Amino acid sequence: MKNRYWIVWMAVALLVMFAPLPTRAAPPQERFYRVEASQFEYRPAILKANPGDRVTIELAALDVVHGLAIDGYNLETTAEPGQPARLTFTADRSGAFRLRCTMTCGNLHPFMIGKLNVGDNQLLWRASGLAFLAALAGAASRPGREGLASILQAWRRQR
Amino acid sequence: MKHKEWMARLFVLSLLALALGAPLIGWRQQAQNGVLLRGRMAETGGWTPENLSVAVGETLYLRLTSDDVLHSFAIGRSDMPPVDILPGEITELNLVFDQPGKYTFYCTRWCSINHWRMRGVIEVVGAGQPGAALESPLYVRLGIDLDSTVHTALTPEEKPAAWRGQEYTRLLPAAALGSEVYLTQAPVDYWQALRSTTALAHLTDQQVWDLAAWVWASNTAPQELEEGQQLYAVNCAACHGESGGGDGVFAAQLDQADPGEHTMTIPGGAPDAMPSAISGVRTTRPTDFTNPAYMLALSSARLQGKILRGGMGTGMPYWGPIFTESQTWALIAYLWTFQFDLGEKP
Repeated sequence: MKNRYWIVWMAVALLVMFAPLPTRAAPPQERFYRVEASQFEYRPAILKANPGDRVTIELAALDVVHGLAIDGYNLETTAEPGQPARLTFTADRSGAFRLRCTMTCGNLHPFMIGKLNVGDNQLLWRASGLAFLAALAGAASRPGREGLASILQAWRRQR
Repeated sequence: MKHKEWMARLFVLSLLALALGAPLIGWRQQAQNGVLLRGRMAETGGWTPENLSVAVGETLYLRLTSDDVLHSFAIGRSDMPPVDILPGEITELNLVFDQPGKYTFYCTRWCSINHWRMRGVIEVVGAGQPGAALESPLYVRLGIDLDSTVHTALTPEEKPAAWRGQEYTRLLPAAALGSEVYLTQAPVDYWQALRSTTALAHLTDQQVWDLAAWVWASNTAPQELEEGQQLYAVNCAACHGESGGGDGVFAAQLDQADPGEHTMTIPGGAPDAMPSAISGVRTTRPTDFTNPAYMLALSSARLQGKILRGGMGTGMPYWGPIFTESQTWALIAYLWTFQFDLGEKP
């Protein structure tokens, strides 16, 4: 009896992991971000876009030569103080992408990072769902109980 | 038996000699390979060594590296392209000078607010041909006092445009044309001279300004403006702003008073009459090139002086050892575009 429930748990887990979430369909738009780079931060450090948006990033260096590369998008540029640089691209891949400085700008240069979020952060929701499911499964399989059925029985009894 | 022991001892000794001798060989090789030139931000030391010397016609082997951020090596008043210097990497460079003299080498990448202070000197000694004696610059020949204040209340209503002024050029007296006027006169003085000309009496003030803009445009070439724009973006925009408004990324920092509170009181003078003249730390806000009350009262020769000599205690670098004559004039031509529309009719 108890042994069969793992199939149900796995099915629910797979559903949580791979079920397509409803996406808010926003019409593609133009987005412009002016990112000011100084030792050792980007301002703003988190950029947001919807999938399909046309994004322009103007990189302005405020102290020394800084660079900007977006992991997963194969884009790179550098800016000197007084000479801002621009990157224009279509955000056609959704997810969270790391921004990194590409010019050695000082001792904390490796920690000069930012993030580009394209679309909703589905990974967060799916991970939360899986964590909740794991907790539920753990509670259900405590010794002395008989799986999911016992949880439902306990719940009915309370009512 | 004895023979074998001696062999073993000899073997151990030769290994020891090799271990001790190898660094010595390496050191000798390095000495032959030339000078290791390390770049550091001006605040933490600049170039090491700062002074180099070489004989005319001999090769100066340089091994360039950086201790902190990206720097670049270039030689003033030469057409050598700048060489980037990356931290943790050695860039090799061989230089041969064919004329004796003192050459300034400098960093071309903005490495801090004091980036321009990162300079050094290569002294080239030897007989060779003595370089053509440098002519004293125009502002010196004209005897301009670069530190006197300039200001004019006579400013145009809108930005004067050369293409609008073109209509009235046939009215201009011959003496009002030519490079002499452009180089030595401030626009406002030139405008006043035109204003008192009877042939132009029927024009409005703005039309006379447009005419002055045309004369300024006739003394600049498009490729000169392009070169000037390039030089401005690389060397000036960080402080004076990309649009010339004195609002570059370093402007706010330059406006601050001396953080070290270095002050000097002159006996009998006002207190703090010369703030930190000793330390040279004090800086002032960069000039706003879009301000007509200031710019129109300046002549090109005066701008040349400001660029060549620098600001003397304001934070403005001196570009004399860096820019060639033609580069300076190209830059000045570009500076006029902040006051005059020098282009074609839109």
